[in-house]
Amino acid sequence: MTRQNFGVALLNWLSKPFRYLRQNRKAQFVFFLSLIFFPLFIFVIAVVLPVARNPFEASVESEALETSEALPDSTPAEIVTGRRELAQKMAALEINQAFLQTRLELSRQDSICLIVDLLDSTASLEVRGVPMRRCKILRSRSSGLARRLRNQGRLHQWLAAPFILQEQLATLPKAPIRIKEAPKDTIEASESKGEDLPIEQRDAEFTLHFDRNLTLSVEQAQPPSFSGRLRELWYDLRRNFNEARDAVTALMHLQLPQHRLWIEIELSREDAKAIYRALPTQAGLALRL
Amino acid sequence: MLRREKIMNEDAQNRSAQPSSLPEAAPNVAKSRAVERPPTVPEAIKTPPALPEKNAAGKALLAGISLGLFLALLTLWLAPVWREWMFAILPESKFAMQLRTTDIKQLRKEAQRLEKRVASLQKKHAAITPRLPYLIVDTSENRIQVMRAGELLHEGVCSTGSYVLLRSAEQQRQWMFVTPRGMYQILGKRVNPVWAKPDWAFIEEGLPVPPLGSPERFEAGVLGEYALELGDGYLIHGTLYKRMLGMPVTHGCVRLGDEDLRLVYKNLQIGSKVFIY
Repeated sequence: MTRQNFGVALLNWLSKPFRYLRQNRKAQFVFFLSLIFFPLFIFVIAVVLPVARNPFEASVESEALETSEALPDSTPAEIVTGRRELAQKMAALEINQAFLQTRLELSRQDSICLIVDLLDSTASLEVRGVPMRRCKILRSRSSGLARRLRNQGRLHQWLAAPFILQEQLATLPKAPIRIKEAPKDTIEASESKGEDLPIEQRDAEFTLHFDRNLTLSVEQAQPPSFSGRLRELWYDLRRNFNEARDAVTALMHLQLPQHRLWIEIELSREDAKAIYRALPTQAGLALRL
Repeated sequence: MLRREKIMNEDAQNRSAQPSSLPEAAPNVAKSRAVERPPTVPEAIKTPPALPEKNAAGKALLAGISLGLFLALLTLWLAPVWREWMFAILPESKFAMQLRTTDIKQLRKEAQRLEKRVASLQKKHAAITPRLPYLIVDTSENRIQVMRAGELLHEGVCSTGSYVLLRSAEQQRQWMFVTPRGMYQILGKRVNPVWAKPDWAFIEEGLPVPPLGSPERFEAGVLGEYALELGDGYLIHGTLYKRMLGMPVTHGCVRLGDEDLRLVYKNLQIGSKVFIY
């Protein structure tokens, strides 16, 4: 059988269940209407409306800046440019202020927190305001929503309070616990002493879901091993499933699924592992982007 | 019989002669056949008969809903990607932000005020770092750093908690050997410390647990020259097992090599901070 014949045969086979549509206009109409209805409905509910409503939760109200009508057309160009530059400068200062305020707020807590500074390309672990480990961010990417918020001058409002960790998902366990049964006597104890220590060489990739719709994904720079790839596949599947589950849950509660502002950063494996293991369950995050 | 053979031979000759004559004769033959041949098979029979209308519409509705639900699930699955695309393609005015006031002088003043505020926050944040020397312990890579005012004084290796969960079936007890994370303070400093062995030290060795205060519980020389107390029984001390340094093998304490321990003991005072992560 040639490839063309095979294609025709496959098409015939696929269209077999729908042969009653061939000369029946009413059936065709009913079919296409019922086919389009659900995807269109979901597209509007899960895509169009969340984008139109801009899922953004400000932690504070702006003091100096606000969105308003554009300047009138008659305004001289120098004034417009000067004002725009000033606005940009003030927006950057507002973001810096929000970042420092958040760090100071976190320094009053006893638990370990994460500081991610995308402008400086660093991620650090801090406790009581003292940096314990500073890691270089090798690569980073963020959602288009962040750029929109920045352009609207509203980003600092979102960044002005610590983000609190809600959920985490990773390719490695939080603690590499090994269970050891107590020996019955000294002979059994001396036998178990000779056992080698397992050296942990796990790939480290994780996703942290924070409040106020922020998701931080950390990837390791080194290519994963074969078993690491399998774990990564399973981790990706779980991550996608969780996203779909959240959307379905929101729809079931008659709410719009919210778009999460995501940030992806790449760190070395050691840094990624140290950060993931050190963060407590409700860790705080200060962010600058 | 003969007549039958003759007819068969003629047929065979006609069949063998056909391919050579076909290219020239084909257009005419096809044309004449199309004209002459009576419609032996009615066209209506060739296409399948249309099902009763009611049945077809019901089937179409069912098929449409099934496929539609599948596509809807796919749309839901891909919704985050769709939304990102929409954020990318939707038009927005470049730097749509405008300033509330029209007075440029007032704006400049506001910018200066913001600059001052940021500078004061930076100062405040810098003041948090301890002036006294402090210790950072990395349990993930089993390393230590002795710091002073944010500057690195010394770096070395250590051993921290093994993450072993020791279970004693007989006594129905269990212990987790983990170095706790967070900020601690040096609560006490000891020279030539003596180890007061807890219950797990005997259970781990397969030995009977002696009563509290028993001389069997005390062992000298195993903790090195110095020990610094962190509270809750956790110590920073030396070790006899130096080849294990850099590995997670302890019962929760921080073990150091002799040189590192001396330096830490010298630099850290009672009240000095220890940061463990």
